[in-house]
Amino acid sequence: MEIVEQVKTESIPKNIPMNQDNVKISIQNLSAFFGKTQVLKNISIDISEKKVIAIIGPSGCGKSTFLRSINRMHEVARGTITGKIIFDGEDVMKIDPVFLRRKIGMVFQKPNPFPTMSVFNNVVAGLKLNGFRNRKALKEIVEKTLKQAALWDEVKDMMNKSGANLSGGQQQRLCIARTIAINPEVILMDEPASALDPISTAKIEELIFELKKDYTIIIVTHNMQQAARVSDYTAFFYMGELIEYADTKKMFTSPAKKQTEDYITGRFG
Amino acid sequence: MERHFEKEFEELKTTINKMASIVDEQVECSFKDMEDQGARLYKSVKQRDREVDAYDNLVMAQCENLLALYQPVASDLRFILTAIKIDSQLERCGDIAVNIVQRVKRTDNFRDIISQTDLPEMAKSARIMVKDAITAFINRDNALAKTIWVNDDVVDDLNKKIFNQLVEKIKANPDLAEPCAHLIVLARQIERLADHATNISEDVIFMLENEIVTHKKKLEDFHLPE
Repeated sequence: MEIVEQVKTESIPKNIPMNQDNVKISIQNLSAFFGKTQVLKNISIDISEKKVIAIIGPSGCGKSTFLRSINRMHEVARGTITGKIIFDGEDVMKIDPVFLRRKIGMVFQKPNPFPTMSVFNNVVAGLKLNGFRNRKALKEIVEKTLKQAALWDEVKDMMNKSGANLSGGQQQRLCIARTIAINPEVILMDEPASALDPISTAKIEELIFELKKDYTIIIVTHNMQQAARVSDYTAFFYMGELIEYADTKKMFTSPAKKQTEDYITGRFG
Repeated sequence: MERHFEKEFEELKTTINKMASIVDEQVECSFKDMEDQGARLYKSVKQRDREVDAYDNLVMAQCENLLALYQPVASDLRFILTAIKIDSQLERCGDIAVNIVQRVKRTDNFRDIISQTDLPEMAKSARIMVKDAITAFINRDNALAKTIWVNDDVVDDLNKKIFNQLVEKIKANPDLAEPCAHLIVLARQIERLADHATNISEDVIFMLENEIVTHKKKLEDFHLPE
């Protein structure tokens, strides 16, 4: 996405180092708080580049807070953190949040296309916001990202129609297209398929397989089978603590911790 | 509140344990029938086979239901996969028990041949293997399971030995060809019984240790083509 790299904003730091040892994000002793309430307790995880990492755990275990800490959305909700999140060798707290969120995009549980915008404008909303106006280049980006999001064939003849007219599954893929249009390196997905029917869910899962060739993906899901299907690594959180983090196959066949086994077999949570 | 999964899972455990108990009893009776002419257990072994077949179908239906409705993982999934495999092994063990009593019935007038061969010893070894395999499965005893396949070689050797003993008898007295042929098949059935016990013990190891030990030795230097 050389085109996006041409976007000039004063906030882009120049000292983002190249990847080292295949670790895209290193989370070190991360604790997160809402006021005095601690919701994450001393989490340390290395996230490998171009892999899918699933975060599982019962409601309230801190999965979403963990996700939102990575791109500093947690602080938007007046949360605070201690510890370090190192993205490409740089402490995220030292990176401009706008730039950080461009590099670490996010897809939410409920598809949230801009309802008054066309399909086309939904995809390029982030680019336009950053002052990118080249119509020809925008067209190319829209086609490329919609193809990446496995949505192009379904919407190529309705570029000027409202994004809100699409089905739920199409809207979610539109949101994914919007996220990848600004050329992120990491995509955070907070239960991206939980509001979708099985066919749309399968399309999102197929899409995740495709996207991991180019992006590092961290997905929060309540759907255990989905975690098992789409991810390379799985982290199990419980009451704000990281209980186990392992290769997904191992996690779903012979987890090391009894708590994990009890959770994935549905005996609690 | 008891969950549906727990309830159905426990039902499966009960079904397969019942099936295993019946098969164990069938095997016990078939060998007793072989060793003791007065036992006359042919009918009871055969009658129980219908129960085993019914349990075979029930286990499959319960496993299918659990897999389709609950998508189990980890140890639950391994138990169900093991149940499917052991179910099939047990059903064959039941069939073999019936086959043993049928062969014994057909050689009823030549009982002394049995005691003149190593058939009783072979039956004893196979009996222990089946019993231990079923016990290892029911009690989730991986240590016991690992002792079972050691005896498989003993049973295989006895089978070869008995074949030679019976061939010698036929050579010496061709009138004994028919009963000896039945007993050669009987020995082969007992050898198959020991194989099924070995298979069950390997399935128990998979269930408890998440390690596939089946064909391990045979596949040591073998890789499937890409």
